[in-house]
Amino acid sequence: MGFLNPGNLIYGLGLVLLVLIYLRSRARPTIDVSSLILFEAAPAPVAKSRLLRLDLLFWLEALTLGALTLALAGLYVRRAMPVGVHRSRALVFDLGAGMSAVYGSVTRLDLAKKQALEVVGDAPAGDDFSVIGYDLEAETMRAHSTNKSEVRRAIAALAPAAVAVRPAALRAALIDARGAATIDLFADRPPPPGLVDEARPDSRVNFHQVGGPADNLAIVALDAGVPRTSEGRCVVRNFSMRPQQCDLRIDAGGREVFHSPLILEPRAQMIVPFGPLAAGGLVHARILTSDALAADNDRYALAPSIVQARALVMSPEAEVRDDLARVVLAVNPNFLVTAVDTARFVQSKAAAQTYDLAVLHDCDDRGVRAAAKLFVFPEPRLDRDAPAPLLTVTGSVALAEFQSRTDTAPLTAPVLLGPARLVQLPGWMDPLARGASAGGHDSFPLAATGRNAAGEAGVITFDIRDHLLLDPDRMDALVLTIDTLRAMLVPPDLKVVPTGTSVAVSAFGRAVLVSPGGSRDLLAPDQWGRVHFRPRAAGRYFVIAGSRTIEVAANYYDAAESDLAAIPPPTPPHATPRAPNAPVYREVRAAPATMLLVVIALIFILAESALILRQASRWGLRHV
Amino acid sequence: MLETRAFEPEFIQRLDNLILGTRRARTIRAGRRNVGRIQGGGIEVENFRQYAEGDDLRFLDWNAFARLDHLAIRTFRADRQVELTVMIDASASMAVPERDDKLGLALALGAGLAYIGMSENDPVRLVAFARRRGGRTLETTPFHRRRESYPGFRPFVTGIRCGGETRLAAAVGELLLERRQPGIVVVISDFLVNPGDYEDALAQLLAARHEVKLLHVMGDREAAGTYPPPGAYRARDSETGEMREVMLGAREAEACRQRVEMHADRLRDFCTRRGISYARAFGASQLDAIIAQEFPRLGVIT
Repeated sequence: MGFLNPGNLIYGLGLVLLVLIYLRSRARPTIDVSSLILFEAAPAPVAKSRLLRLDLLFWLEALTLGALTLALAGLYVRRAMPVGVHRSRALVFDLGAGMSAVYGSVTRLDLAKKQALEVVGDAPAGDDFSVIGYDLEAETMRAHSTNKSEVRRAIAALAPAAVAVRPAALRAALIDARGAATIDLFADRPPPPGLVDEARPDSRVNFHQVGGPADNLAIVALDAGVPRTSEGRCVVRNFSMRPQQCDLRIDAGGREVFHSPLILEPRAQMIVPFGPLAAGGLVHARILTSDALAADNDRYALAPSIVQARALVMSPEAEVRDDLARVVLAVNPNFLVTAVDTARFVQSKAAAQTYDLAVLHDCDDRGVRAAAKLFVFPEPRLDRDAPAPLLTVTGSVALAEFQSRTDTAPLTAPVLLGPARLVQLPGWMDPLARGASAGGHDSFPLAATGRNAAGEAGVITFDIRDHLLLDPDRMDALVLTIDTLRAMLVPPDLKVVPTGTSVAVSAFGRAVLVSPGGSRDLLAPDQWGRVHFRPRAAGRYFVIAGSRTIEVAANYYDAAESDLAAIPPPTPPHATPRAPNAPVYREVRAAPATMLLVVIALIFILAESALILRQASRWGLRHV
Repeated sequence: MLETRAFEPEFIQRLDNLILGTRRARTIRAGRRNVGRIQGGGIEVENFRQYAEGDDLRFLDWNAFARLDHLAIRTFRADRQVELTVMIDASASMAVPERDDKLGLALALGAGLAYIGMSENDPVRLVAFARRRGGRTLETTPFHRRRESYPGFRPFVTGIRCGGETRLAAAVGELLLERRQPGIVVVISDFLVNPGDYEDALAQLLAARHEVKLLHVMGDREAAGTYPPPGAYRARDSETGEMREVMLGAREAEACRQRVEMHADRLRDFCTRRGISYARAFGASQLDAIIAQEFPRLGVIT
């Protein structure tokens, strides 16, 4: 429907032609005279003529054509229609990890699907539905459709993710459901108070709680320890209101290193030591006891390699070298650390060595041969004749604030750091933390890691002088440094990540992703040869790139999502209270005005016909 | 509207002293001996004749029968009644130009003539004629003889609406079908028809031995050639609906005025040749002047 339809275009041109003919035929006013006998001597006009005569017939025909034109153009009106005949409904599903918890014999999401299908089945024909899911973000699975089969298929295709639901995602989902008269929200726990009213103050929201309190055990944390040196630790938590037996097993390198049944007190957690491990590699802890939520029963960790490695720590200041050497040894005691003053590096024997890790503070990497390089407070490029550095320093700030990490929620309070460099990160590096200058608003990276063809690289942009890393008030800086080092020291073909985070793997070409469920997806590389994916299920992923296989272990744990015992018992579906003056049971729809316009045009045509008939009865048909 | 003036007391008062003259004798005789005369029921004895079976015995002269033993019937001279028929043109052309109110003028003059005609207690009627679609050509009132019944014309006069074609000959033909005794027929019209039409109509009236009087009505602006104002128009004949593209200017207005004058002169010449009284009533604004100056041409005397 519209002017670009060739048929309508021809019709429109035909109408225009009719209008022109009509205007031409009515070029002069018609005036009644008593008899033409008196005007036999009057000459006919030759050139003078009026193109338009604005009489009643003209306006009727103009209105008729206007109405028909608007009808052809597809004019529509937005109006609030009373709900009841054809309602628009939005089915909003919680797809967080909690929805995969078993309740009875089925998962909570299965219960939600069943209830939603009943809602769809009970709805009269003509109602349209949209299906929206949310976990980390909101996603519309099926836009508004009156086809119930399509809606049922969209509901059946919903799958839970092993991630914690973000309130912002729920808010976005409710906003996405705009235009719907009724929103059916399916979740295993009530939404945060006020969030629904804040997002959808004018809609009717029916909350369907699926499932109820359930017993759940979860592995909260797993620390592999240092092989042959220190014990590893596994933290197990009982979210139940009663004591629970937990059969915990820990494997390292495919061999069982711990397996024991544990009794956990109600809502208590237990730290289970194990090891020390005999060798580094992937450590896998799992709870063999069946409970409601399976996603938090497995956890992976990396144990550092036991192979002795060389590390270079270079800084112009001795205190910094000392602090960095301690941190490096804390991360992996098997490092043989060489600390060198920057000014003496070239002349020292250290320059001739090749290192597994080089930590370079306030200096460049000229002459340093290392498989992984960590730049701390990198030096700006002062010598224009020198080769281009790995990182480009664009400026400095006198006082930086540590504000957020990319893998966790923003810090509750910014941590005041010292001076920091502003670094332009290459595209193959991923920031781990961001900060801002004190009192400023522009954000810049504080730490980043990445891998290119030359090897692993990392950067910490803030200065660590004056024993910053050992300051107990600024432990976040130390943790960030350790995490950066760990991210750099993981084997290139093995990663341990939290679920829901974006994972970048240097594949240098197309790669195939094998998910824990066995499904395969083809991943395309970006311009730096990295493939990206977001693990939504806990477990082991494999990225197959040519002959290389990179393993990515995804861990899931969220204290709020896993706490199934804190969920209130399910209540019958109820509607949230609405704002006092909000329109009730009404929805705004774009209703086509075609029929109305055609009716108006017909009325105009009838009126015009009546006028013409009146003239015909007076003058005869020949003179109309 | 002008026709309402015909029933205003001031207007009627002006007409009280006027008499409509007629060329005919007011008494006539009928019978085999007096062909063309009409024998009626008057009071003046005109003659005697031999009684025939079926005669009204009330007119038997009993004194003569007693003396002469002869049955004789008295005959009387009938009182002559001159019927006055005022034919008013109600065709569509009488409504154009609308502001000229030609129909109102015609109705006022027609009603005035009717009032004058009732001075001798002669029967008077008004007839509106126009050839309407699906309607009759003539609309007539009953005869009224006394001036007291003059207001009986009012519903007719105020109810007449213009429409249709003039068709004067057809209207006269329909009127003559009534076969009434000859009288006076006053025709009030703009006569904007083909000359053959009105000539035919008037000839029919004369042939029926009616005394015919014409009152030629035209509008002020129409007679002056100032309608319509200068410009280019599609002129539509108000009666036939025929259209014609015209361009009007000052010269064309003068041509129209001359055309009206020529048309009136031709009509007047025809009337003169056929012994028909002719008077002009050009312009509704001239009503009083028309009564004073033009009515005498129709035989209205003080």
